[in-house]
Amino acid sequence: MGSSLRSGAKRSFAALGLLLAAIVFAIGCGSDSGGGGDDGDGTITIGASLPLTGEFSQPGKAAQQGYEVWVDMINENGGLLDQDVELIVKDDASDQNTVVADYNALIQRDQVDLLLGTFSSLLNLPASAAAERNRMLYIEPAGGAPEIFARDFQYGPFFTQQATADKQGDLFAEYILNLPEDQQPKTVAYATLDDPFTVPVVDALKEKFEAAGIETVYDEIYPISTSNFDTIASEATQDSPDMLINGSQFDDGIGFSRSLEKVGYDPPIFFQTNAPSFGEQYSDGIGEENTEEVFFAISHVPDASTPGNEEFVQAYKDKFNGEEPPEDAADAYAAGQVLQAAVEGVGSIDDQLALADWLRENEVETILGPLQWEDSGAPIGEFLIGQWQDGQAEIVLPPDAATSDEVIIDGQAMPNDE
Amino acid sequence: MEEFIQATAFGLLIGGVYALFASGLTLIFGVMKVINIAHGALLILGAFIAFTLWDQFGIDPLLSILIVTPLMFVLGGVIYVGTVRPLRDAPLSSTVLLTFGLALVFEAIMGLVWGNNSNSARPSYFNQSYDLLGITLPKAQVFACAIAIVVLVALWMFLSRTWTGRAIRASSTNAQGASLVGVNIAGVSALTFAVGVATVGAAGSMVSVLYPFLPGSHYIWIARVLSIIVLGGLGSLQGAVIGALILGLAEVYTQTYISTAWATAVPYVVIFLVLFFRPQGLMGTRLREDVAV
Repeated sequence: MGSSLRSGAKRSFAALGLLLAAIVFAIGCGSDSGGGGDDGDGTITIGASLPLTGEFSQPGKAAQQGYEVWVDMINENGGLLDQDVELIVKDDASDQNTVVADYNALIQRDQVDLLLGTFSSLLNLPASAAAERNRMLYIEPAGGAPEIFARDFQYGPFFTQQATADKQGDLFAEYILNLPEDQQPKTVAYATLDDPFTVPVVDALKEKFEAAGIETVYDEIYPISTSNFDTIASEATQDSPDMLINGSQFDDGIGFSRSLEKVGYDPPIFFQTNAPSFGEQYSDGIGEENTEEVFFAISHVPDASTPGNEEFVQAYKDKFNGEEPPEDAADAYAAGQVLQAAVEGVGSIDDQLALADWLRENEVETILGPLQWEDSGAPIGEFLIGQWQDGQAEIVLPPDAATSDEVIIDGQAMPNDE
Repeated sequence: MEEFIQATAFGLLIGGVYALFASGLTLIFGVMKVINIAHGALLILGAFIAFTLWDQFGIDPLLSILIVTPLMFVLGGVIYVGTVRPLRDAPLSSTVLLTFGLALVFEAIMGLVWGNNSNSARPSYFNQSYDLLGITLPKAQVFACAIAIVVLVALWMFLSRTWTGRAIRASSTNAQGASLVGVNIAGVSALTFAVGVATVGAAGSMVSVLYPFLPGSHYIWIARVLSIIVLGGLGSLQGAVIGALILGLAEVYTQTYISTAWATAVPYVVIFLVLFFRPQGLMGTRLREDVAV
């Protein structure tokens, strides 16, 4: 076997060239999973591209289901402007180039009437630019990176969660910095996925903790292709930090948590973005016993008492075999609610700029609570902070939205209104 | 020094498992000159089967190798007969596109059967480690690496000590010559493809414990595994082992001493430098194309 380069370097490299082209093609090719673009009489077509395959396929699928429930419910209630709504969803394969091609195709070939956004800041950055070029209102359920809203766009993007990424950890940081002096962390380690959503979350926390004098003992950004977290976990916990911050999406968050267990370190305070908000999928991934005390930011919980939430949760369960809606599905549903509010507020879909301006001037009631936006489309509000307690994801901050009346720090229960 | 030993231990454990990931791919290329782009998807398929056996029946994912490997052997045979064999004499590019198409089909099937949720098995030892003089050795990595060594040694013994294995090696070295001395090249190709897929099934069982995975995870793995076999020398089993160990160590040393941000880039720079000076890879051999083909 050792002397087996029989076909020669030329053919091998030619094949590898083809392979690279094929992989680029794979990443670049999207598929249309929706119906046709017929927007004949009595139908309003809404187009969206979502990462149904590739790295972000898990939240992408959830967002698709959230959109579908919204379309079902709106059609059951007489439609939008008395017209049926048809949803066309394309698969962007979690790729930035494909998502642009998808939105261009939705607008120019399928001639959709309205758009809904894709999932993740990474994909919404280029997708919202494509919508702006085509002068289409752009409402996105998951893309809170501050840079998305720093481009002076007119038609959006309007982010339908409570706050942008840099504000995701505000309540958490505030709570930690208000702990009694002897319980405040003295050292902190940061391990962050290189992603336009996670980096601002961690940067904002870092700025607050550094200003408060908490010493940073580890600070690394890891690429999206990272699969081995043992070394990162080992290095991050080498100095036994009092607090550990992991800016992560789902898979890497699971991988990092599992590696923490392997290296045998249980941080007194552990905040993780995204992954812990996936409920059962998170506890299945790392084991329920290992979820205890993990903090996270979240936009929606199924038992929230917000208007329309109960109906949404029930409709979702009815449609998807009794499953509780994940956060990403709820965010997508809320995006649909915001689009609906703008269309009904203006009374027409002809002037997309008027729809955008309506959102700038009005508050919209959603299942996530009331949402308002700056002119840039960045929401004005604050995220909920959750913590895993006794195998359940509980809301702990702010106190008036909390489902648990205590926060647990290193095994010690503390009131959440300190 | 302790940090260096720790990093080296992590790198070797990862590299050992990578070696098994890559062995089937290099074996198939060695005999058939097929670059099986579906290798990553088959790895994830093996992981899904092992995960299901653990989730539904409580079978330890590493023990489930005994079930997953034969299943994948059969699947490999079916894939060969149904798709690869008709293109056996087609240009290399045709099989690249064919196997790439297979990868997409497998991704879609896995999405339909298991959904797009991330999965990872949690046997009792998944989060436990050995502590050896202050060096952490995660049990799952140690077990997986040990099993990978056993499988690779068994594969090497099969290739070097049995008539069938020698026929595979002869076909790899010189198909026409092997044919002249009575080796059934078509049969050897089918067997090699099935064995290659079986080894990736064993590797998939390990993935189910070591890494979270979903149907789309195969893109990351095929890129990594291809790099390993190019570094080691296309078609060389020993080269795949050496390439895997180098890649594992390079990843970990980069994370430890340079930056985690460069952990997936620096190893490829190393590969580039090796190929710059030795285009045939570490264990590959340059042969005249007019003689070799």
